[in-house]
Amino acid sequence: MSQLYRITLKVKRFDPDTKRTWVQDYELEAGRILRFTDVFRKINNELDPTLAWNSSCEHAQCGSCAVKVNGKPLLACELLVENAIKDFGSTTFRVEPLTIAPVVRDLVVDFDNAYERVNKAKPYIINPSPRVAGESEYRISPRELEWYVEATRCINCFCCAEACISSHRNFLGPNAVMASIVRLMDPREQAREERLELLYSEQGVYRCHTSMACSFVCPKEIDVAHFIALAKADRFRA
Amino acid sequence: MGNTLRISSTIHCDVLIVGAGGAGLRCAAEIFEKKPGTRIMALTKVSHPQKSHTVTAQGGMAAVDPRDPIDKPIYHMFDTWKGSDCTADQNIIKKIVDASWDQIAWLENHGMHLSRDENGGLSKRAFGGMTLNFGESSAPRAVFEADRTGKGIMDTVWGEAMKGGISFLNQSIATELLFNGDRCIGALVFKEKEGEFVAILSKATVFATGGNGQVFRITTNCRQNTGDGLALILQEGLPVMDPEAIQFHPTGIVGPGILASETLRTVGGILRNKDMERFMERYAPKMKELAPRDLVSRAIETEIREGRGILNPDHNIQHVWIDLRHLPDYVHDEQIPEVTGFFKKFVNIDPKKELCPVRPSNHYQMAGIPTNEFGEVQKGPQELIPGLFAVGECACASFHGFNRLGSNSILELITMGKFTGERVIEYLGEDPGELPPEAGERTFSQFSRFMEAKAKDTLGGIREAMQAIMTEKVSVFRIENGLIETIEALKELKDRTDKASLSSRSYAMNQELIQRWELDNLLAISMVMTQAALRRKESRGGHFREDFPERKDEFNHHTLAFMTEYGKVSFGKRAVDMSLFEAEGEHYEKFGMIERKY
Repeated sequence: MSQLYRITLKVKRFDPDTKRTWVQDYELEAGRILRFTDVFRKINNELDPTLAWNSSCEHAQCGSCAVKVNGKPLLACELLVENAIKDFGSTTFRVEPLTIAPVVRDLVVDFDNAYERVNKAKPYIINPSPRVAGESEYRISPRELEWYVEATRCINCFCCAEACISSHRNFLGPNAVMASIVRLMDPREQAREERLELLYSEQGVYRCHTSMACSFVCPKEIDVAHFIALAKADRFRA
Repeated sequence: MGNTLRISSTIHCDVLIVGAGGAGLRCAAEIFEKKPGTRIMALTKVSHPQKSHTVTAQGGMAAVDPRDPIDKPIYHMFDTWKGSDCTADQNIIKKIVDASWDQIAWLENHGMHLSRDENGGLSKRAFGGMTLNFGESSAPRAVFEADRTGKGIMDTVWGEAMKGGISFLNQSIATELLFNGDRCIGALVFKEKEGEFVAILSKATVFATGGNGQVFRITTNCRQNTGDGLALILQEGLPVMDPEAIQFHPTGIVGPGILASETLRTVGGILRNKDMERFMERYAPKMKELAPRDLVSRAIETEIREGRGILNPDHNIQHVWIDLRHLPDYVHDEQIPEVTGFFKKFVNIDPKKELCPVRPSNHYQMAGIPTNEFGEVQKGPQELIPGLFAVGECACASFHGFNRLGSNSILELITMGKFTGERVIEYLGEDPGELPPEAGERTFSQFSRFMEAKAKDTLGGIREAMQAIMTEKVSVFRIENGLIETIEALKELKDRTDKASLSSRSYAMNQELIQRWELDNLLAISMVMTQAALRRKESRGGHFREDFPERKDEFNHHTLAFMTEYGKVSFGKRAVDMSLFEAEGEHYEKFGMIERKY
């Protein structure tokens, strides 16, 4: 059971005070089921307290700790040392911040900036449909909910936006577009025209090149590309 | 450098919310609904409100559907009272329980994706401690959104707050409260990314800063739950209530401490020690693994203390096993897929074939900033601080007393969030006045001490030492000499902390600087928790004294703890509200000082 691995993290760093960018190597021993967030903490405690990284829940439910490891966007809290060694076939890992938003320091990116795309998609009910008279809640059958419930699992970690070949320019990005698609599929939303307008705008779904990288990297295993495909196939007009 | 220690700007708003989780933003949504156009600012320590700890709540929210033919609000009130070990306030229990279904409907109407039954209504499920007819049989009373109910709440209240026009200050901390005379008029705020201080003046200030789980080594709480709100309140000379009332969940997953739900035991999981013995047979011969949370936690801790635990070498944590190997595949695949998924993902084992490592994990603070039923903060048993509110896990109204019932925490967020919002509106006509001239003095002297400290030490090491001793001596088991030792150890750690130097003097996104500030907060909370635990010479709910294992009537009150200087803790009391009992209505006898036996 017990095994220590000698690993090297090559971390891309950035100092906002001097605007300097560099790659720093950290060599350390780590047990097999330490996660990369544990490894970052170990670096802080044993090697370098100045390395800045982001996390919150550390069990894949908040999406704060998204980074790129050997080029793949993922949640650092989910990546166990022994799995990383197996999956990447190496004990050396390049660790970089996401590029979908400006870096604040080291691995910390400006989520305010990243979220602007999601805010544009208005991730709430803009204009609620009327309820059946005398009922305090809407009725939504499990079958109807099943149609879009997968997309409601999105935690806005932006791994999909990072992997997307189109989202670095004009495309709003997979997660943002999906936030609007959820509400188009939700019978409680009436503001369909406004949502469709955004989906088919300059920044909308036709910017997507169907690489399906979004579905491939999603830590919540959401088939993001499927929802975008529905929009491309014009499935949401009444 | 000297330039940074100044107030770079003063921002005016109507309402300042410190902490943008479920409770804070439910409060904001209420204010927007009643008074559109209100200028609300919300701070959060995390990088975005959607990253708040609320999103980790899995199970559900208890609420009796008024159309339910069998379940009644009075049963929910009774379960909460009994669960609290007779220390919750009955006026709060009644108010929250009576409002619960309306608040579920509010969430549903505003877009929460709650799980549905065959008729398209809201699905419900049973949790431990939810009963019909005062303990007779189990009641399915919790509505839920699959295994991510907290995330559903968070997304909904965040969306509504955004729709109302809220301004967020993400990755920011409040370091000091501002007062005009007695009245709270806002806070001094440090923006971590920019490394600058701003003063925010508001007509009302709402604390919704969450829990303190990082006091302990193994916790289900997120990295930012460092008890900041409570520490800030102590710093202002104000009391925290029931700091000794902390809940531990028996089965946290080794090592991160992630919660492995009760369900593992209800579907037949067996707890085993290193000798493979089914040890629960010795502690609870009838109920075995299905005994209540606190009893199972103590049994596991005893096994570990007596050398029958197993050491996980990677995390250096002692644990026991939960054996799920005998369960049929359909149970694994249909009834516990999420939890077994956690073991696969975070421990790399297959629960169908291998034993799973678990141990008690810190879960929840019943403790908090004392408030009345409107979320108004109290400075003594009755006196209020005008303009200051507290809501959510950082507040103590008290709905949970000394032990919280599963599925009551997120219910508290949304109901008390609404009530607090309603009361905040009454303060919107009042002008906060000017920025007090002494604003920032305390914070700046604190931060310059951080920057000027010279000793070579590691803050991470001090924090781990604090977490280790709190986990060993002030968690599931507490005993007089252990608590006294802890108080001395904490004083030493505080001394070391004060002298420890930082590796970088930068203010912009200096993670170590924030951790230094958090460490002061954690040490403050640990101290009041330990001293309150020492003073309460009895056992009640989550507070278990080995030397005083029974509940005692002389302690039928809430603790109020003040700390004017580190280690000097003084105490007061607040009576437990027993208005349901005193009203002598139907079933009033169920709300007396009853025994907590299951």
